[in-house]
Amino acid sequence: MNDIGEFTLLVALATALYGCVAYVMSARGNRIDLYLSADKTPFIVWACVMISSICLLRAFLTDDFSLQYVWAYSNRELDTFYKVASFWGGQKGSLLFWTLLLTTYMLVVYFQNRSKNLRVVPYAMAVMLVVVVFFLFLINFSTNPFERIPLPPEDGRGLNPLLQNYWMVIHPPTLYLGYVGFTVPFAFAVAALISKDLDDGWIRMTRKWTLISWFFLCMGNLFGASWAYVELGWGGYWAWDPVENAAFMPLLIATAFLHSVMIQEKKDMMKVWNMSLILLTFAMTIFGTFITRSGLIQSVHTFDEATLGYYFLAFLFVIIVACVALIIARLPLLKSANELDSFLSRESSFLFNNLVLLGIAFATFWGTIFPIISEAVRGVKITVGPPFYNQVNVPIGLALLALIGIGPVIAWRRATFSNLKKNFLRPVLAGLVMAVALFPVIPLGNRAEIYTYVTFVLCAFVLTSILTEFYKGTVSRMGLKDESVVGALTTMTWRNKRRYGGYIVHIGVVLIFAGIAGSQAYGTHTEKHLKTGDSFEIRGYTITYEKLIAIEATSVKTRIIAQLAVERDGKRYWTGHPEKEFYKGQNQPVSEVDVLSTWKEDLYMILADFGEDESATIKVYVNPMVSWMWTGGWVIAFGTMISMWPDRLEQRRRLDRVRKQEQLFPSPAQE
Amino acid sequence: MGFIHFLELILIVVILLAVGIPLFGKLRLKKLVEEVDPTADEYKHLLVRKEETLISIKELEFDFNTGKISEPDYEELRHRLEAEATEILEHLDQMEQAGKKSKSSH
Repeated sequence: MNDIGEFTLLVALATALYGCVAYVMSARGNRIDLYLSADKTPFIVWACVMISSICLLRAFLTDDFSLQYVWAYSNRELDTFYKVASFWGGQKGSLLFWTLLLTTYMLVVYFQNRSKNLRVVPYAMAVMLVVVVFFLFLINFSTNPFERIPLPPEDGRGLNPLLQNYWMVIHPPTLYLGYVGFTVPFAFAVAALISKDLDDGWIRMTRKWTLISWFFLCMGNLFGASWAYVELGWGGYWAWDPVENAAFMPLLIATAFLHSVMIQEKKDMMKVWNMSLILLTFAMTIFGTFITRSGLIQSVHTFDEATLGYYFLAFLFVIIVACVALIIARLPLLKSANELDSFLSRESSFLFNNLVLLGIAFATFWGTIFPIISEAVRGVKITVGPPFYNQVNVPIGLALLALIGIGPVIAWRRATFSNLKKNFLRPVLAGLVMAVALFPVIPLGNRAEIYTYVTFVLCAFVLTSILTEFYKGTVSRMGLKDESVVGALTTMTWRNKRRYGGYIVHIGVVLIFAGIAGSQAYGTHTEKHLKTGDSFEIRGYTITYEKLIAIEATSVKTRIIAQLAVERDGKRYWTGHPEKEFYKGQNQPVSEVDVLSTWKEDLYMILADFGEDESATIKVYVNPMVSWMWTGGWVIAFGTMISMWPDRLEQRRRLDRVRKQEQLFPSPAQE
Repeated sequence: MGFIHFLELILIVVILLAVGIPLFGKLRLKKLVEEVDPTADEYKHLLVRKEETLISIKELEFDFNTGKISEPDYEELRHRLEAEATEILEHLDQMEQAGKKSKSSH
């Protein structure tokens, strides 16, 4: 089976290469025979990569340690659940997994669009195949997951214990689905540039893809934060680690893109800007893989055998140069047909939002690469830590939060000050009420606390602004259509899925801002060395160390669990079980924290150390409002689902357009 | 030849047949797309602009009903959008008439 897996990878590479050439030649030579020939390649490449992936997965499930990759990331004792996750646990498998997702996306695009716009689609497929070729080239010739060990060992090294967490099965695939997904809008953008079909057709064709990729990237970031929170045992969820930044930057730029394409659709302007944003988003996804696989930056996320940096850097360079050259060559065709009606309009608030998002992305990018530049130029390795990012990004982030509240209140095209005054009244009042209510009860002793205070005030402003939108829309509809409150609200949301789904996403973002602010400024923690029966207090919780439990979980894993009784107001409230897990062959034990999570705060416990006399060192954090962030994530998921739900009216309009075009210009239907 | 090699050979043959068959038919004489007709492109663009302008008028009404825009601004913008929509519709009508004429003359 390993032979087949290796062979199909080679076949996939050869087929993908042929596909690239044939698609481009079919479009340039206007040859249907070449197109139909090339048209077979997406499925063949996908099938080959799928067979190869199945072979690798089989090797993990059957403990085939003749494969170096399986030996390095699995062992006989590993749960089947984690054997599956080991597939993407190391560099080689993760690249294969990336390619599998990419070819799967490509296949779906192929089925969706193969007969739609034959001027653009062949180029889009060729661009996607170029990306596939790059990854397949690396897998085949630089980091082959089917590399053999001449004398297979009896057992493997096993998966890094830090990765033996259920988030390992959820977080990387989610993040990859986001990263990889942006290849689709990027490919269509490049195809539009090459084919000179530069209206907003490419945006409409890939709108759902952009949303899906944005959603997965957003959830991937949140899942990563959640994983770090429960696994790394330092009480936090985000450390501005270079690889976290690498996943955060494309999310910021993609968010800017999602907003600015609306202006292109509405007003037929900002074409160069949108092209640049999608190019930058895709470039950032490749930059993310460069960071993880270059070995240049130290991070908990980097792969052990990170040696592929220069390949990614070269690929990144080629993409940027080629795309910039294409954009410059097409500049005359990318001129805007319109201009902004007024500086005071939703369009301009979107422009500001774009600038702010790019500002955060740039600051994060600079902080991420500065250590590399410093080492290259001065030979000094320095670390850019959270203080830099917090100092720069928090004020810009607050401006972004304010803009989320300002956007819905301003009309498209033009707003007037008198209307703004009227429309801002409720949100500003809500902000003021929040400011007055919080002022006496929360501390304002340092910059972090002041920022948090401002965040809460802005959250009240934004939330009221969004809820007022729902309220006004519902009331207006009730007046016009004689509907009930629920009926009007539901119909209004359903008929304007994109707008109201977007507002719901914004509510989720507000919850995340509130959660970050609360947990960053008002958290507290303590560390105590305790003997059984000892107690201590923290934020109204009385914590008693009851006993230490040792469990031989498997032949390679021993669990040492501290039992802690938590009392509140004299009553037993909860029992915490933080633990340390010892894995055979691993020097460092892994902490498994225990968390009592409520809407108000998290009680977060870590077993830091223990002695032979059953004494234990316990760290306890009280992190306010952390659950607001995770709730925000679910709200974002709900909002995105509404935004993405197929719109029958839009489908009907599209079909009507195609029908009219076909009637007047019989062949082919250009949509 | 081992079974694995046999399977590999079959795979290659199947792939070569799949990508090769279209190249050896009569399809070579057919074009993938008709020559780019600037009128078709313009027609397509105008259809999209028509939709967007009509949606903009609806949104403007909604913004007015929810008090986001003043009456004078509403009147002015509505007038401008309606003029824009009329211009697009007229242009589309002209193209459709011209298309019908050229079809009937053929």
